[in-house]
Amino acid sequence: MSKIEIQSMIAPFTVTEVRDLCEASYVVRFSKRDLSFRPGQHLVVGVLGMSDAREYSVYSGRDEEFLEILVREVENGVVSKKLRRLNPGNNLEVNGPYGFFLTNAQPPANKKLLFIASGTGIAPFHSFVKTYPDADYTILHGIRTVDEAYEKEVYGEGRYITCTSKDEKGHFQGRLTEYLKNMDIDKETMVYLCGNSDMVFESIDILQEKGLSNSHIFTEVYF
Amino acid sequence: MKRVSFKTLGCRLNQYETDTMVSEFHEAGYEIVDFKDDADVCIINTCTVTNQSDQKSRNIISQLASRNPDAVVVVAGCMVNNHKEFLQKNERITYVVDNEHKNNVFTLVDSHFRGEILHPEQLPSDIFGYQTVDKSLHTRTSIKVQDGCDNFCTFCIIPSVRGRAISRNPIEVYENIRRVTENGFKEIVITGVNIGRYDYDGLKFENLLENILELPGDFRVRISSIEPDGFGPGFAKLFGHPRLAPHLHLCLQSGSDPILLKMRRMYNVRSFMEIVNEFRRLYPLFNFTTDLIVGFPGETDADFEQTLKIAKEAAFSHIHTFRYSVRKGTRAERMENHIPEREKAARSSLIREISESNKRDYYNSMLGKEQTVLVEKFLKNGTVQGYGEHYLPIEFRDPAAQQNTFVKVRLDSLTGRGLLAVKL
Repeated sequence: MSKIEIQSMIAPFTVTEVRDLCEASYVVRFSKRDLSFRPGQHLVVGVLGMSDAREYSVYSGRDEEFLEILVREVENGVVSKKLRRLNPGNNLEVNGPYGFFLTNAQPPANKKLLFIASGTGIAPFHSFVKTYPDADYTILHGIRTVDEAYEKEVYGEGRYITCTSKDEKGHFQGRLTEYLKNMDIDKETMVYLCGNSDMVFESIDILQEKGLSNSHIFTEVYF
Repeated sequence: MKRVSFKTLGCRLNQYETDTMVSEFHEAGYEIVDFKDDADVCIINTCTVTNQSDQKSRNIISQLASRNPDAVVVVAGCMVNNHKEFLQKNERITYVVDNEHKNNVFTLVDSHFRGEILHPEQLPSDIFGYQTVDKSLHTRTSIKVQDGCDNFCTFCIIPSVRGRAISRNPIEVYENIRRVTENGFKEIVITGVNIGRYDYDGLKFENLLENILELPGDFRVRISSIEPDGFGPGFAKLFGHPRLAPHLHLCLQSGSDPILLKMRRMYNVRSFMEIVNEFRRLYPLFNFTTDLIVGFPGETDADFEQTLKIAKEAAFSHIHTFRYSVRKGTRAERMENHIPEREKAARSSLIREISESNKRDYYNSMLGKEQTVLVEKFLKNGTVQGYGEHYLPIEFRDPAAQQNTFVKVRLDSLTGRGLLAVKL
């Protein structure tokens, strides 16, 4: 039995809520114990006692009394289906936090920030804004339909732009990368991309064509 | 006198950890013998980074155990962390010791011969708790400054077997260097799993290195393999210090940006080449070597062409090529479009050709240049062999040469093994 399993048995991470956001996506809230993290980091989460676990960026703010992850239910997915069926009181195995994404965006960096996300790739930016609501940020969110604009009221007015590919209810109707091509971006902006690798890769090309330096672009890929 | 043999597989960190065990056994009066010789104790420090590493580890365990049927067989290291139960079922293995308890191998064996059977996991775990190297299987010695990795590249099992990144107290590092140089070592290799991410209370890798370069003593400093995403802008300038060897094994893994993204590497080809070009601007003869993985899931012909292009452009003098190997539990295991083994082998062969061609070009560019060689071996043909500061294998004639001393030479010609030089 590993040390992690022993630790979890003594004081497990306990689910307090599973909150549906749309047909495909939901939030799992669970106890924080003494786990501290920086916005942008991820956890490895599985149901206690099951061998499978997956990586999820933290969705909740650093100073909140609980932890949340944003999960998209994957067709034939092993973990994402099990997590959705959890009830309050069920236990999770949680390892982490891991990663360095957004580390250099945090105060006192005080830079102009552009966050680019597809789908549930919004999670680290949600965590960041919950933690640093006064940061100078703009979020560009690529989604299929506007119901995937998860809990958008968190973001400041005019700071959250949706690009919807399958309905006409977003700020922009079409792919995120099409919007990005026509966007004016100050060359000193620090740009953070999180989502599927095709979107990330295509966006990097566009940003570099706009003259942004490689040193101002940071990525986290979701699979 | 009890005879003990060692076999190390894998990385320089494993070599370091074996060297500390060698010192401990030697100091306690054990005879250190070649692993091909009969022994009372056989210690195998394993690797699990690829399937091939697992296979090699299994073969060595089996060979040593059958050749020494009465020996105490200790299997330690990364394969234990990855396949502990499998190894524990093998009746020929006396002790199965994971990385967290590897510092206790001597205690386990010595207690065994005194009739006390200890369980490895009853003993204290200390990943930096190794004895200072005195007696070594190598001329140069490593200094462990860090262990574990938090990068979680999608292909890599190492975070699971080496654990979270942890940096060693710099005071212990400086003290370790003082002791090994007092023990006579002339070249130290700074090592760890991901040394570029060294961070001890805000002291970063380049700060640590800067301090190491100013320590008293007559020694040369070399960096073991390093990732291109951890160090800061002052790192390159440190190589202007005469004590720091102008060579880096800078891990590229792929020359294709889409594949680097899927590998979750924290750099792209452009940022990698910016590092290479900046070093070459400052130090035109700087030697770069690298690791490349071929056949990562989804690697197309176009991706691989990019890798070939960068392998030539970066002019790595050596490329350690790995065929992608599925590691259970990693993210890449679940990716689509795994590449057939035959295709991986073909790609690997093309990389090796470029590596050989780059090596010849680099070695030719060094002809006529001076090098300071650390003498390691005396060959049967009467020549002396060692490595220069650029990490070139060099042979020369010098009847008065002594092992573990520095000798200045001028590079004269290429040999099948490296470079032939004339003593100055």
